[in-house]
Amino acid sequence: MRKTTFSLIIFIASAMVILQSCYPGDEITYSDSDIVATFYDKEANFSTKLTFAMPDEIIRLDDEGNPINDPGVNDQLAITRIKDNLIDAGFTQIIDPDTTNPATTPHVLVIAFANQSTWVSGGCYSSWYSWYYPYYGWCYPVYYTYDIGSLVIVMIDPTESRNALWVAALNGILEDTNAGIAARVTDGIDQAFTQSPYLYK
Amino acid sequence: MKIIKLKYWQMFAVFVLTILLFSSSYAQREQWYGALTYSVSVPAGDTKNIIEDIGWWGMGLDYRYMVQKNLSVGLYFGWNTMYERVTGQTELNTDPPGTIYGTQDNTINSFPIMASAHYYLGERKQLRPFIGINAGGSVMLQQKAIGIFVWDNDQWQWGVAPEVGVAIPVERDFGVIVNGKYNMFFSGEDAIGNDINNAYWSINVGFIWEP
Repeated sequence: MRKTTFSLIIFIASAMVILQSCYPGDEITYSDSDIVATFYDKEANFSTKLTFAMPDEIIRLDDEGNPINDPGVNDQLAITRIKDNLIDAGFTQIIDPDTTNPATTPHVLVIAFANQSTWVSGGCYSSWYSWYYPYYGWCYPVYYTYDIGSLVIVMIDPTESRNALWVAALNGILEDTNAGIAARVTDGIDQAFTQSPYLYK
Repeated sequence: MKIIKLKYWQMFAVFVLTILLFSSSYAQREQWYGALTYSVSVPAGDTKNIIEDIGWWGMGLDYRYMVQKNLSVGLYFGWNTMYERVTGQTELNTDPPGTIYGTQDNTINSFPIMASAHYYLGERKQLRPFIGINAGGSVMLQQKAIGIFVWDNDQWQWGVAPEVGVAIPVERDFGVIVNGKYNMFFSGEDAIGNDINNAYWSINVGFIWEP
């Protein structure tokens, strides 16, 4: 092998090492790791959904999908923020829903969940029973690992047995204890609505 | 990142084999020449919608065979990296459709492999401007990472790269080369599966030699 060729190989090898060592991999802050994912039923007509009802609790689900009573410190903050955003989007809240009376039957139910264990992958989750009607399902917006304390906001039509009309997920946010978490909860919920313009009247 | 490292070494093997293949043992003196360049990538077209920052890391390797006094044909191998961290939302073409928001790390490693033809002005041993066309494609390693969500899409994309440049002689068998290529690809997807046509400028500076 000529000296020139050998030198070239050394040059390339050195360049590979240098370039690889300079490849991006910066540290990220807590807020950098916050994620908001949403999806919606493309056949849903949100313009006809004018009223909502929402339980005043975030329903915690254990490993088997059963609801348990284990409220978190930011739960009420999150519920209030979700309701505020729904009202900003043009929905009217029905405080005391009565499904036997059409006038007080909400067009949509909005229920907030938090998982008590890490939920791996995604897909649909239908093993819970709803506050008003049993066995309406919903699906995670993205297939991956949802950390403990992920807030999942689900909007369902109480008159139809089908998967959710709209779902938002904030990964791990309700179990996070780092500084500024309250602002991150409200920012995340706001972002869920911002990136869902079809909800607005 | 482990997968990408493996790809780097695969590409390194290609570089080494190419150099050995076209080294003086196989090439007829003064008909072949090679060029090794440092390459800067400037995103364009659909690629610019994903990454706007200039990619400062890259390299290129050309082997050219003079079929006439002013005309060469050859092969072009490259490696161009582009990266940008942004915070924003990405539409997901899933069923049902969705959107994901977060801090995103977008990375593209492009490894173009193309046949080339170049036409030269001027005379041998003089400053020689040239124009050329490269045709083939690129192995595209594309990644989008949003928090803990990571999408990878590694695929071959067909494309061409028109080129202009100049070769500047320094010594008898050695010189400097400066060139610019517009790498544009006709088919392909981005990291999350949306149809796009990747494109980027590569500005290359290096040396040229006769084996």
